[in-house]
Amino acid sequence: MSLMTMIIKMSEGLSKTCAIFFLTLLFSLPLGMIVALLRMSKIKIVSAVTRFIITILRGTPLMLQLLAVTYGPYYLFGANVARNKLIPVVIAFSINYAAYFAEIYRGGIESIPVGQYEAAEVLGYTKFQTFMRIILPQVIKRIMPSVTNEVVTLVKDTSMAFTVSYQEMFTIGKQIANSQTSFMPFLVAGAFYYIFNVIVDWVMGRIEKRLDYYR
Amino acid sequence: MAENKNNSAEKAKASSILEIRSLQKAFGGHVVLKDISLSVERGNVISIIGPSGSGKSTLLRCASFLETADGGDILYDGKYAMHDGVYASKAELNRCRTRFGLVFQNFNLFPHYSVLRNVSEPPIIHGVDKETARERAMELLKKMGLDGKENAYPFQLSGGQQQRVAIARALALNPEVLYFDEPTSALDPELTGEVLKVIKQLAEDKMTMVVVTHEMPFARAVSNHVIFMDGGVIVEEGHPEAVFGNPTQERTRQFLRNYQR
Amino acid sequence: MKKILSIALALTMLLALGVTAFAADDPVADRTSFVMGIDPEYPPFSYLGDDGNYTGFDVEVCQAVCDLLGWKLEVFGVNWDEKLVQLDSMECDCVWSGMTILDSMKEAGYVISEPYYDNTQVLVVKADSGFASSEDLAGKVVAVQLGTSGEALLNGDLSDLAATFENVITCDSFLKCFTELEGNAVDAVFVDLPVAASYVAKHDGLNVIDENLGAEQYGIAFRSGDEALCEAVDAAVQELVENGTYAEIAAKEEYADIVNNLLFLSETEEAAPEAEAEAAA
Repeated sequence: MSLMTMIIKMSEGLSKTCAIFFLTLLFSLPLGMIVALLRMSKIKIVSAVTRFIITILRGTPLMLQLLAVTYGPYYLFGANVARNKLIPVVIAFSINYAAYFAEIYRGGIESIPVGQYEAAEVLGYTKFQTFMRIILPQVIKRIMPSVTNEVVTLVKDTSMAFTVSYQEMFTIGKQIANSQTSFMPFLVAGAFYYIFNVIVDWVMGRIEKRLDYYR
Repeated sequence: MAENKNNSAEKAKASSILEIRSLQKAFGGHVVLKDISLSVERGNVISIIGPSGSGKSTLLRCASFLETADGGDILYDGKYAMHDGVYASKAELNRCRTRFGLVFQNFNLFPHYSVLRNVSEPPIIHGVDKETARERAMELLKKMGLDGKENAYPFQLSGGQQQRVAIARALALNPEVLYFDEPTSALDPELTGEVLKVIKQLAEDKMTMVVVTHEMPFARAVSNHVIFMDGGVIVEEGHPEAVFGNPTQERTRQFLRNYQR
Repeated sequence: MKKILSIALALTMLLALGVTAFAADDPVADRTSFVMGIDPEYPPFSYLGDDGNYTGFDVEVCQAVCDLLGWKLEVFGVNWDEKLVQLDSMECDCVWSGMTILDSMKEAGYVISEPYYDNTQVLVVKADSGFASSEDLAGKVVAVQLGTSGEALLNGDLSDLAATFENVITCDSFLKCFTELEGNAVDAVFVDLPVAASYVAKHDGLNVIDENLGAEQYGIAFRSGDEALCEAVDAAVQELVENGTYAEIAAKEEYADIVNNLLFLSETEEAAPEAEAEAAA
């Protein structure tokens, strides 16, 4: 197999890698905010339960969560295993990353001085307006570096979808490596991930720069 | 100044914008406000002085609903915001909020908004149309000596400029009374003058104000009523000349002596 | 490609040599221990026994070989789809675990033992599916374990058959392949007969389609240059066959599914000189 064929075959898997990546971000970024707000809820039981769930999601391997989401329903209820593995993969990734994002959001929200809330309150902003107009924009700026870290990790974590036989780029790379008894596909995969992350870094850098107009 | 005093004296009974009766507040077991009563009439400038921890900031924060008081009455324009320790409805509190503005020690400007937006957005969310809010904001900024700064961001301004933006922001909502919580305490000494000047100018325009301050000469010059607080009670109050010139209480004398040193 | 491959391999080996204290002029006589690389999830050839230790037909034979040669046996679970990399990096001395001999292994320079097992590849389907032959699976989804000969077959000799399937998905363990089947995510599993037989025996509702889709042989893989080690192991196995130990192991109940395909028992002693010559070449 020529290097070109190898790259073409693996590029087919790249679209699935991208699907995991973008869908996970699409769902986990807002979900993380909901989780963060539940985590900070004044109702003790809500925040305690949320906190417990977060510790589980952050304290167990993503690989295990992938297996649980994909095969758990079958073993527990005899339900069918999803034919399209993208669904359980995106669910597992979104839930897992939401837990991480939630903690980042929480840190960001708690870092905003209480004076910002007080000023908004005195000026007659509703709680919702305060959050959306005053707090959230400042939180986003503060958490960008941490979010970038997670997004870069997500690019690499997509390779874990192989545990549930989702044919993303790394799975295909492994298959080629096997049939060709060659290390080359791993180097190709490494290059793909690297390029992907260079792009992610550039995009996130642009966003950070756009938020740089104030301090 | 004398004219100002006469004016407010005439209106006194008719128009208390704020009235506080027997206000109590404790943090944990520590009592911060014991049975505080005061009344703010339209056109008056009241200064509250006293050592740190005397409860004067807490009093202002209770009046602006940032702290929940434990007991007593708070009335705005004769209507109860709190009656015997029980707060009025959310809607009523919101109506009261439109009557006062608060200027913080640390300005608390919104750092991600331009100066103009800091001043113009609050009226907009209250339903004022954008163009009117913008014009009014520009007018206020000009009055604060900040023309040309409307597109700057707070971090680009000096502390004194930031505090003047904060005053403009509070004024943009046309409050009936303006509260100042140690407005110059976070400023370098050379910047306090420009802020005090603005407050003085507002006093001349008959703006009703309550100022918690450590600037004794300013309090003496600008206000027509001075309250000295210590240990959560009002120790002495009266005309500035009386309180500063001839205090009747030993604690007041001691406090003022320390300040003059 | 070949060149890159060999450079990559050479680099890995150099690296491995760097960290391993390697000396011995005679790698066989001076040897005191032997690390056997297995797929720990490949019953009945190699698996984690009820007592928590690795066992299986291959493991038992290897133990007997080590006893014979005075080596201390260490069993090492490899990541099956990276078994050859792990072999190259000296993590184990051989891969011996129901491993199908592939031409590509020999081309890459690995030393392969005499074949000892005739492997049959079959399709496992749900009993109520009505599928009776590989043709019935046209347009269906088939699962295969990553790194197995089944996967290699579907990519190679059986690619025409694979083309009739809607899709072939690869799982990293055969257990997942069967879970996919039982959970209706796939319609069939392409797998070695012994694995199929032992799984179907323990789980209801599955059927092995009676159709041999690939005749291959199992062997033991050694690193390039380990010809002497390979010969020593081969000879020891032959000795076990002659003294009856081999048959004794094979007679155990848990190996009933594979006993008929064991080459050393079904053929004469002089089996497969051809393979030996190839391995030495």
